[in-house]
Amino acid sequence: MTYQQTDTIAAVATPQGESAIAMIRVSGPDCRGLSKSVFRRTNDPRPRHSYHSTYYSVSGEALDEVVYCFFEEPKSFSGDDTLEVSCHGNPLIATRVLEDLIERGCRQADPGEFTRRAFLNGRIDLTQAEAVMELIQARSDKALQAANNQLRGAFGRQLGELKNDLVDSIAFIEAYIDFPEEDLPEEKKDEHVARLQRLIDFCSRLIDSSKYAAFLRDGVKTLILGEPNAGKSSLLNCLLGFERAIVSEEPGTTRDFLRERIILGSHSIQLMDTAGLREPESGIEKEGIRKTIELVEEADVFLLVIDSSLPSPDLPDEIRNKLTNENCIVLQNKIDLGDPLPLSDYLQSLPNLPISATNSTGIENLKTVLVDIIDTSFSCQDDDLILVNTRHSEALKGMLACLNGALEKFQNDEAAELIASDMRGALDAIGQILGRIDNEEMLDHLFSSFCIGK
Amino acid sequence: MDYGHEPYDVIVCGAGHAGCEAALASARMGVRTLILSGNIDTIAQMSCNPAIGGVAKGQIVREIDALGGEMAINTDVTGIQFRLLNVSKGPAVQSPRAQCDKRAYALRMKHVLERQENLSVFQATVTGLIFRDGCVVGCETNLDVNFFGKTVIITTGTFLRGLMHIGRNKNEGGRMGDYSAKTLSQSFLDAGIELERLKTGTPPRLLGRTIDFIKLEEQKGDPDPTLFAFHDTRDESDMFHVEHPGESFVGWTPGTDQVSCWITYTSEKTSEIVNANLHLSAMYGGEIEGTGPRYCPSIEDKIVRFADKPRHMLFLEPEGRHTNEYYINGLSTSLPLETQMQMMATIPGLESVHLLRPAYAVEYDFAPPTQLFPHLESKKVENLFFAGQINGTSGYEEAGCQGLVAGINAACKARGDEPLVLKRHDGYAGVLIDDLVTKGTQEPYRMFTSRAEYRLLFNHGSSELRLLDYAKRYDLISKERVARIERKRNEIEKIVNWMETNRRGESAWATIVRRGIEDHELPKEVLDLDPEVRNEALYRVRYDGYLKRELRQIEKLKDVEKVRLPADFDYHSVRGLKKESALKLSEIKPANLAQASRISGVNPADVSILMVALGK
Repeated sequence: MTYQQTDTIAAVATPQGESAIAMIRVSGPDCRGLSKSVFRRTNDPRPRHSYHSTYYSVSGEALDEVVYCFFEEPKSFSGDDTLEVSCHGNPLIATRVLEDLIERGCRQADPGEFTRRAFLNGRIDLTQAEAVMELIQARSDKALQAANNQLRGAFGRQLGELKNDLVDSIAFIEAYIDFPEEDLPEEKKDEHVARLQRLIDFCSRLIDSSKYAAFLRDGVKTLILGEPNAGKSSLLNCLLGFERAIVSEEPGTTRDFLRERIILGSHSIQLMDTAGLREPESGIEKEGIRKTIELVEEADVFLLVIDSSLPSPDLPDEIRNKLTNENCIVLQNKIDLGDPLPLSDYLQSLPNLPISATNSTGIENLKTVLVDIIDTSFSCQDDDLILVNTRHSEALKGMLACLNGALEKFQNDEAAELIASDMRGALDAIGQILGRIDNEEMLDHLFSSFCIGK
Repeated sequence: MDYGHEPYDVIVCGAGHAGCEAALASARMGVRTLILSGNIDTIAQMSCNPAIGGVAKGQIVREIDALGGEMAINTDVTGIQFRLLNVSKGPAVQSPRAQCDKRAYALRMKHVLERQENLSVFQATVTGLIFRDGCVVGCETNLDVNFFGKTVIITTGTFLRGLMHIGRNKNEGGRMGDYSAKTLSQSFLDAGIELERLKTGTPPRLLGRTIDFIKLEEQKGDPDPTLFAFHDTRDESDMFHVEHPGESFVGWTPGTDQVSCWITYTSEKTSEIVNANLHLSAMYGGEIEGTGPRYCPSIEDKIVRFADKPRHMLFLEPEGRHTNEYYINGLSTSLPLETQMQMMATIPGLESVHLLRPAYAVEYDFAPPTQLFPHLESKKVENLFFAGQINGTSGYEEAGCQGLVAGINAACKARGDEPLVLKRHDGYAGVLIDDLVTKGTQEPYRMFTSRAEYRLLFNHGSSELRLLDYAKRYDLISKERVARIERKRNEIEKIVNWMETNRRGESAWATIVRRGIEDHELPKEVLDLDPEVRNEALYRVRYDGYLKRELRQIEKLKDVEKVRLPADFDYHSVRGLKKESALKLSEIKPANLAQASRISGVNPADVSILMVALGK
């Protein structure tokens, strides 16, 4: 059997969650072109050869340093041209890479689709394929169950409402297409437009809330900053409750960045420990400090640790500019060594707390203040609005694009069936989350809203 | 005629709109065909309203024409009013509709059957089927004569255990004045075919000279009527199956001398009467078990469910040129006769009207169509085909196109040829049959344009082009007509191409057309074309982006469509397939993977697994 691949599919091939490395597999005719555009190559990559490169998003942003490998058909897992991209194991990075590939025209693979292609291209035999399929079915059942649980919750209610409003909007348009001979109320364009505008707002709000999903998924990124030996690693250990970072009297020990997850109240927090902020003497440290400044850009909340037995440090402008009353706590550490020295006027203007990381004084207090900050600035006020994964936001973005298309057509007075065509696209998009929505459902809305049957 | 000896190739049981198309299709394909009707005076009877076409239905009629059926020509010849609906919308959803002379329609169709080569018409009521080794081999009749056939098509409409209700009054029959086929149902049950009940209704018929037309609003036909048949690709001999060239069967030329319909409304008094007598309604009084259609509710249903609506629109449709009978569209009811008469007195223009026939509801057996293959043959009994209202549909057009497909496929089966399976992207006929056999139906199924995912491709003018390949492959239309359609197709492609490549100033004509242009500003090359060619070409150019989008979606599905699923495939033995999915799949027996994926409850992972299991 010959099996023509018309589109290029992509998916994260490694298990979800944190790992050292995450692998994104792409399969289909666009792989060769993608390996050029993503990695800014001028020539074709050599098949089955590993390259180290920066992954550039479609908007030109460097997403990660990755290793990629191009496999030419038929010598690949699926038997089609395949591109495998290994990035750092942060789920956020893998997600962003996947999102970027989708933006570039790939389609998120269906469960088992790689295996199916592999089988149909004769790369694996039936027994192998069946075994993989069974696993996929088990996993997709579990995923389905998980999704259902999730859809039973607040998110599901919101989506259900969104779908209902959409189906209703479509029914109002379709009624005038399919029943021109009926005694329907006069068709009012501004009512269609108002309904559509409400849908667009609703949909945009759901998409906006996806940033809260990132907080939920990856934790609120909390950066521990401070001069060398101010006690940053001790604080990290104190918050974690065990010795994680190497604590040493020697300044500059923490050269790498440690990321640890803690749960405070209902929040997930990603703690990031950094190298000290000081004029570096060695090259390694210089590199560390450059990275610290990069991390400052990425972080949501800052814990600025200072040695309270020393005068207040000066902060580089890149850091000072980021700190506000809403996202920063100044921690006067080492109060066990004696009364703290007064803070500089600048630091005094920020929220501050005396602590001792070595004997855990003031840590409970710190946790309370931290939770307050996160509650105020980083949780969704409307706790119903929570988006969970790429698939959801991809679907909702697709839906929004269709709705905007429909709105534009309304404004240009285009034919109803063309508007309906966009609306149908929106319905298909939300159907990717909720399951296919049968036309019967639209007809139910139509017949309950309009008296049809002259 | 020769009965009882050499078997027919195809026997059609029932001569309604499905039966006529079925018999004509198989006979025209050259196989020996017999059509049986309990009363041959009611061949192609319009049991409900005297109209053909309407939104989506009009497209179906043109598709029937494209596949060599008779409904379109019969409508054109016997039509007395023609209107194109949805003219304020785009061409994709514009649909022709016609009022017909009811007697002329039936009479002409009877005459077409009579004159058809390879076709025998005979009056006998089918009382049972004859089975041998899981196959149907013939049928028994009320005349104690059996007929034998290689294949049998059931097109019995509402006649299976038909029961009519007027309030508490009950009469057996599939239509007022006709009989009920009582024993045939048992024959199906014996063969393991399941039956369920549906309900439909019809309004009263009125005597025209007792209607006060001054009080009504007139609705005229279009001055430039849109006909159903593709006259541009036929020559006269191909056009008139009964008439001699240049002569009119009915006494008028298609589209001329049109008559009007009339509009009135129920009043608040009507609602009061209905509400006061609800308990007497057969439907509200619990006399009826079958499900009625949502899109064609009874007046009592409308008044109860839309209580705040002060009035409901009614259409008065003339039943013919030589009768004074009017059909009152919108007043279907199962209230008692006395209440019906009280209601009339409250309707402007009908205050002192005389009722010729009462409204009634009818309940009947239908065979859930998920028991059929997409070529309309039964999964339970080989060589047995079903078409029309017996499959749970409603409407002459829906019945006609199923009849046509069943007729073609019974003929194919008798000859040992591959069946015709229309796809969802071929047209409404494909959507209709796929919906029926894949999802079944809970109410009498009527076509709406919204049921079609590719409706932008289904503009009525393109039917002939869309279905040409089938018409050719199954030899459904004359060679000359095939050649004319091919020429038309080429001309359209040529002019579309011309508009894409030739410019006025900076822009291609195609771009100018898409931006919007008055017809008279079009270039001579376009203006000079035959209107059918011009309209189709302009449609393609104007909607290019949308049409391409739908074509891309179709292309995407082709892979899964190509994967065939054998009818005897053992879904339970597929490793990894969920039990519920296996059960559903075994019941529906989808023809290919695309159909499987449309079954409710079958998810993408199931489809992947099937793909693997089938690649063996």
